[in-house]
Amino acid sequence: MSGILFHKYGGEDLDSYYPIRPECQADVPKVRFKARAGKTLSARRWHAAFSEDGHLDIAKVLRRIQRGGIHPSIKGLVWEFLLGCYDPNSTFEERNQIRQQRRQQYAAWKTECQNIVPIIGSGKFITAAIVTDDDGTISDKKVLQWMLGLHQIGLDVVRTDRSLVFYESETNQAKLWDVLAIYSWVDNDIGYVQGMNDICSPMIVLLENEADAFWCFEHTMRRLRENFRTNTGMIGVQSQLSTLSQIIRTIDPKLHQHLATKKMIAKIRRD
Amino acid sequence: MPSRRRTLLKVIILGDSGVGKTSLMNQYVNKKFSNQYKATIGADFLTKEVQFEDRLFTLQIWDTAGQERFQSLGVAFYRGADCCVLVYDVNSMKSFDNLNNWREEFLIQASPSDPDNFPFVVLGNKIDVDGGNSRVVSEKKARAWCASKGNIPYFETSAKEGINVEEAFQCIAKNALKSGEEEEIYLPDTIDVGNSSQPRSSGCEC
Repeated sequence: MSGILFHKYGGEDLDSYYPIRPECQADVPKVRFKARAGKTLSARRWHAAFSEDGHLDIAKVLRRIQRGGIHPSIKGLVWEFLLGCYDPNSTFEERNQIRQQRRQQYAAWKTECQNIVPIIGSGKFITAAIVTDDDGTISDKKVLQWMLGLHQIGLDVVRTDRSLVFYESETNQAKLWDVLAIYSWVDNDIGYVQGMNDICSPMIVLLENEADAFWCFEHTMRRLRENFRTNTGMIGVQSQLSTLSQIIRTIDPKLHQHLATKKMIAKIRRD
Repeated sequence: MPSRRRTLLKVIILGDSGVGKTSLMNQYVNKKFSNQYKATIGADFLTKEVQFEDRLFTLQIWDTAGQERFQSLGVAFYRGADCCVLVYDVNSMKSFDNLNNWREEFLIQASPSDPDNFPFVVLGNKIDVDGGNSRVVSEKKARAWCASKGNIPYFETSAKEGINVEEAFQCIAKNALKSGEEEEIYLPDTIDVGNSSQPRSSGCEC
């Protein structure tokens, strides 16, 4: 039995889920992942992990994922749980409600943004600046700050995962742009910072619904956003480097001393 | 104890997002162009050995993120630079207008000992785009700006086609060499980070 299943899995071309542009194939590392029967979380196993009213046995699911990964056909659905969008203890009914609310909330934000910059949601996007920082016609500081970052998102979108066939489509690029633009509107404290495009991209590919992709990204950013903070004159990751430095100092003072004399380690004291 | 002595020259590349900083560095160091570079996060560097009048130098080229917000990282990256390369896209007026900001920001953050004579090199990149038809910054205009800032050497490049990249970096290396007080760097043996208290004998015993 398992032999037959294995054969079925083994013959499956997983590359077809995220096809690479033919001209890029030489530059892209080969995907080593293979779905393995009895190990990989399959669609069947995934559906079987829910109780009748929708409670998810997350521990069982996680064990499987750890052993054999997630089959690409259900990746988007699984990620929503992994990224914390939904509580595994909720019911189908509760999750449907949350999903509808979130989609409405996203649509409302999108409309707000569209009213300021009509190209949002049009399937097109910008890569050139639409305002300058000394623009006198925009009095609202929040609006100006947001608009100043939009072309940067565009510049990064055009070079995000370019080897994927998915991003040959301008509509798909615009989907990534819209999500990042709206995120930077909602989280105006952090705004858009280079690197967010790479974090967001797989969610755009995996979740067909743009609002669902947004909420996946939003939940991911709840954990990551401090890394992107730059307004204190220090980039968030620097504080992480500082923590790393303290850990090294504690567990291996000799190495720490060496790195410090070579000026290869973040200054630990922030006085 | 074996040691190698090299002269390290530090070069930093600045300019607006998307003007081709990463592509220029890779074209020079690896002799290839890819349209698959991602946006640079923070900074990155590559090194290349260059020979100059019988001496070997290590050119350490720092590529930086173009997004303005990353400038708060500046001090850490700019410090100790021997030459600063300012890049703009000849098809983007804004990227050219911003050269002044990048230059000033560098001088403030790196605070070189002799700011008036600190070597900069300006590169006008992407001259290949659309056969030059989408160009908005003329060579004359760019040269005039370079002249006004103390005769900064100027090159028009295409990282994609490999035009003038080698020439530009030779000039960059030469200028870095002139400015650098030729800091000798000492690369010691690797240190043992394991728990072993026994000093390992050096050399091969197989």
